[in-house]
Amino acid sequence: MLLYILRRVISAISVVIVTVVCSFLLFFAAPHDPAGVICGPKCTPERLKDITNSLNLDQPVVEQIGLYFKGIVVGRDYSAGGVTRHCDAPCLGYSYILGVPVTDLLARAVPVTLSIVIGGATIYLCFGVLIGTIAARVRGTTLDKAAVGTSLVIGSVPYFIVALVIALYATFLPKSQYVSFFENPFQWAAGLLAAWLCLGLTNSAQYTRYSRASMIEALGQDFTRTARSKGISERRVVYRHGLRAAMTPVITIFGVDVAYQLVNTIFTERIFQLPGLGTRIINAFNQYDLPVLMGGVIVGATVLVVMNLVVDILYTVLDPRVRLG
Amino acid sequence: MEPLIEEAALEPKGASIDAMTAPTGDLKKVETRHKSPTQIALARLRKDRLAMVCLGIFIFFILIAVFAPLLAKLEGQDTTTLHQDLIDEYGFPTISFTSEHWFGIEPRLGRDLFARFVYGARPSLIVAISVTFITAVIGVCMGLLSGFLGGWIDRVISWVIDFVLSLPYLLFAIAAPAVILSVMGDNPTEADVSQVTRSRFIALILVLSFFGWASLARLIRGEVLSLREREFIAAARVLGVPTHKVLFKELLPNLVAPIIIATSLALPTYIVAEAGLTFLGVGLVEPTPSWGLTISNATTYYRADPLYLWLPVLAISILVLALSLLGDSIRDAFDPRTRR
Repeated sequence: MLLYILRRVISAISVVIVTVVCSFLLFFAAPHDPAGVICGPKCTPERLKDITNSLNLDQPVVEQIGLYFKGIVVGRDYSAGGVTRHCDAPCLGYSYILGVPVTDLLARAVPVTLSIVIGGATIYLCFGVLIGTIAARVRGTTLDKAAVGTSLVIGSVPYFIVALVIALYATFLPKSQYVSFFENPFQWAAGLLAAWLCLGLTNSAQYTRYSRASMIEALGQDFTRTARSKGISERRVVYRHGLRAAMTPVITIFGVDVAYQLVNTIFTERIFQLPGLGTRIINAFNQYDLPVLMGGVIVGATVLVVMNLVVDILYTVLDPRVRLG
Repeated sequence: MEPLIEEAALEPKGASIDAMTAPTGDLKKVETRHKSPTQIALARLRKDRLAMVCLGIFIFFILIAVFAPLLAKLEGQDTTTLHQDLIDEYGFPTISFTSEHWFGIEPRLGRDLFARFVYGARPSLIVAISVTFITAVIGVCMGLLSGFLGGWIDRVISWVIDFVLSLPYLLFAIAAPAVILSVMGDNPTEADVSQVTRSRFIALILVLSFFGWASLARLIRGEVLSLREREFIAAARVLGVPTHKVLFKELLPNLVAPIIIATSLALPTYIVAEAGLTFLGVGLVEPTPSWGLTISNATTYYRADPLYLWLPVLAISILVLALSLLGDSIRDAFDPRTRR
C-alpha cells in the first residue's frame, strides 16, 4: 500500500516537473523575442533591458529553467522600473504588465473558482443522484424515459450555450457578482446562485445517467432481494441499502469531475463575469501577459495531478477490491 | 438476423459435373457471399431511423458549408460588405428580413447575416473534421505501436499518453495561440490581421489534435494487447510476415469498430471546442465568419435582435445534438453489447 502511494506520488511529481519544463520552453525559449512580448505594447528600451536582465533571457535555456525552479522553491528577485522587488516562494514569475507577482494574482482568483465549483458540485451531485435514483426505481415507465431523454439532450447541447442562455434570459436570478464569503455570506450565495444553477443543471444530466445505471445494478443484486424479503419498506430498501452500494462508482467520477471543473470553469466565469482563475487567464491572454498565462497553466496542471492522485488513493482505501498492480 | 454467409447452390442444374470442362459463365455462379462485421453493422445502422435522421442533418450542414459561395450568390450578398445605409444612428438595423437580406443584417457593422451564417458552417466543420482525422491517425498509430511492440516503446508512449491526459487542455488551448504567434517570429501586439487569422487557425487545429489523440491511443493499445496473443497473429509472425504488415493488414482490420465508434463520438466534441474557444476569444478571429464569433458579438444585442443570437446558437446545438445521437447509434450498431 505504502509502496503504491509512493510510486503514484513520484509519477505525479514527474508529470508536474515535465509540465513546468515544457511550458517554460514554450513560453520563454520558443518565442523569438520573449522580453518584447512580456514587456507589452508600451515598451521602453530601459524596461526591455530590465526584463532581459531580471529574467536572465541572455543566459542559456537550462540556466533559465533552473532559475525558474529556484523561484518556485525559495523565491527570487525581479526588477521593474529601476525598483527591485522580491517575489516570495512559491514564485511563478512576475507580471510586468500589471506590476505584481503572478502568485498574488492567482491566489486572489482561487477563492472565486473554489466557491463556484463547490456550490455547483453540491447541486449537481444531490439533484443528479436523486433523479437518477427515482428513474431507476420506475425503470421503463414514461417518467424514466423522460428523465433519460432530457438528460441526453441537455448533456449534448454545448455547455457554453446553456450557460449563455441562462445568463441572458434568467434575469429573475440575483445579479451575478463575487463577494467574499467571510464578508457577507448572503451576498456571496446570492451573487453566485446563477453560476451554481447553471453548472448544477448541466452536470446533473450526466449524474442522472451515472446514478441511474449504477442504481439499477445495485437493485438487481442479491442483497436487495434479501432486504426486500425481510419485509423492509421499499423506500428503505432503495435509499438505505441500494443507494449506499450504488454510490461508490459515482463518487469516484465526482472526484475527477471536480478536479476538471476547478481548472475548466473558464466558460462559467467568463459568461457570469466572475473574477476567478479562468477570467484571470483570459485577461492575461488578451494582454499577452505570458508570465501569468504560464503560471495559470502550471497551477492548473498541478491541481489536476494532485486531485487525481488523491482520488486514486482514496479509492483504494474505500474499496478494498481494487487491486494494486 | 440474416445469416452471415450465404452460399449459392454449388451445382447449377444441368451443368457439367466436371468443373474443368464447364464454361466459365457457370463457374461464376459458384460464389459465397460474405458479410464483413462492418457491413453487418452498417446494415443495422441503416435500419435505425433516428440515426438516419441525424445523418441527414449532418449532411445538410455539410452541403451548406460546401455550397456557401453558391448560397450567398443566390442571395446576392457577401460576408464583408458593410451596409451602413441600413443602420440607424444607434447602430441598430432598420430592416429585418427582406428579399435582399434573408436573415437581416448585423447591428453596428451591417454585414449580411445569411452570408455569414452559411460561411460560418465552414470553419466549424473544417476544424472538427480535420482534427478528428489527425487524432485518429496519430492515436491509432501510437496505440498500435505501443500495444504491439511492448517493452520500452510501450512504456514511453504510455507515459506520454498519461502525461497528455493529465494536462488541463482548456488552459493550454488559451495559452497556445499567444505562443504560436510569437514563435512565428512576430511581436503579437503588432502582427497584422491576416497573420493573426492564419496563426489562430493553425493553433486551434494543433492544440485540439495534441490533446485529442491520447484517449484513442489508450483505447487502441488496450485492444491490441488482447488481440496480440491470438492465434492468427502468432501464425502471421511464424510465417515471417514483416511487422508493419502484421500491424496494418492483420491487426488494423480488427480495430475498425472501436476506431469508428471513438471518432464518431469525438467529432461533435471538436465542433463544440471550436465554437467555445472562438466564443472565448481565443479561437478564430474577425473577419473569419464563424458561429462562435457571431454568438460572442450577438450577446450585446440579444434583446434588440434575438435572431442574430439564436441562429448560430440553434445551428450549433442542432448539429452537435444530431452528431452525438448519431455517434450513440453508431456505437450501438458496431457494438451491440452496449445497446440500451
